[in-house]
Amino acid sequence: MAKLEVEITVNGEQHKLKVGSQERLLDTLRDELKLTGTKEGCSVGECGACTVIVDDQAVNSCLVLTAQVDGSEIITVEGLESKSGLHPLQKAFIEKQAVQCGFCTPGMLMSALALLNTNPTPTKEEIKTALEGNLCRCTGYQQIIDAVEMAAEEWGV
Amino acid sequence: MVEYQLLRAHSLEEVLEILAEKKKVQILAGGTDLLVDLHQQDPKFENIDYLLDITDVAELKGIKLGPEEGEIGALTTHAELLSSPEIKEKLPFIGAAASSIGSTQIRNRATIGGNLVNAAACADSFSPLIALGAELVLRNKGGARRVLLEDFVEWPNQTVLKDNEVLEKIVFKMPQGEYYSSYQKIGRRNAVSISRLSLTLLAEVENEAIKNVQVVSGAATPAPVPFREVNKYLTAKTFAEIDPAEAGEIAADEMVGITGERWSTPYKRPALSKLVERAVKDLLEEAGYNG
Repeated sequence: MAKLEVEITVNGEQHKLKVGSQERLLDTLRDELKLTGTKEGCSVGECGACTVIVDDQAVNSCLVLTAQVDGSEIITVEGLESKSGLHPLQKAFIEKQAVQCGFCTPGMLMSALALLNTNPTPTKEEIKTALEGNLCRCTGYQQIIDAVEMAAEEWGV
Repeated sequence: MVEYQLLRAHSLEEVLEILAEKKKVQILAGGTDLLVDLHQQDPKFENIDYLLDITDVAELKGIKLGPEEGEIGALTTHAELLSSPEIKEKLPFIGAAASSIGSTQIRNRATIGGNLVNAAACADSFSPLIALGAELVLRNKGGARRVLLEDFVEWPNQTVLKDNEVLEKIVFKMPQGEYYSSYQKIGRRNAVSISRLSLTLLAEVENEAIKNVQVVSGAATPAPVPFREVNKYLTAKTFAEIDPAEAGEIAADEMVGITGERWSTPYKRPALSKLVERAVKDLLEEAGYNG
């Protein structure tokens, strides 16, 4: 089957790619662009480990074909850290020990970032809603919610 | 091995052209159901030659609520419904249904049209729209036809949409005068849960009495239907005459009348009865009636 040409911006960098008709954004990020921070968990949109931000919205990259996001701007967990160091969310996750095995962490960070980008002062309930599509089998969630709250406070300053 | 050619349409005209010209086309919208099936190499993809992505078609997006009539474009996402101030103010039960679907990530992609066309027995978008008496505008290259949403689903996952048609929008009359609504859902947990039971109640009231009412099932019956007996029971009654528990019992009898006794009936019967009771109580409370 013929490949399709797409142009996407990932973490600020433009890419011209030829993608297959069944290629998911998750596959492109991991296999083509070698951005393996984005994880594949359930592959059916339940666990949120593959969450990335597409045009300011958190989405499951396992449920989007790359051809569908032609022209879009994508942020993955690799886009968080900058020259000035770790992102406030990353610092807060470390500070609050919101990471255990770490498999869900990239997805959690992306859902949290999408939230804080649109709502810099979320309530606890809003944080829970933003993270409800992300499963964590280790932490019991409390530390993660604490970390997002902390990041919101620090970032807002 | 599933193989197809992926096509992307950028206008409604292009969609209709492709549907008219090509055979074995599967339309792809938000993809939150379809791409799961694709990943699992569902045999239904063996009969597909083209996957037509319509997510870029602007004409199929948007919410317009006028004083008399309203319409929702098929590609409107659940996140858009949920965050629309107009929906929140005028049709809060639609926002409530949208907020109960999937997770933030799913709601950002999944569309109301996709939910309807996929027509799962547990789909959450049906009951609020049937309560509004909504019609679907199904368009092909030759023109459009309107189908009452109630008549759209023939069987779970089987609708009257033809191969050369696309669901363009959902149209409905706005409720008039004083009206109240309630959306109820039971799932196994709050987020990312498939409805076990859901329902919408929408009532126009006048002088502490019910003028018009629609109680509509979701997930309780193979295809979502209005509970006609409950509607009959509630219509024209004054608030004082209404017994919410009785309304619940009538609905439960009606559901079992449609589905027959099943393994799940001992659970669903009392659960549905309570949901209807709760919805009726909500209505009375919202209307400021204290019994």
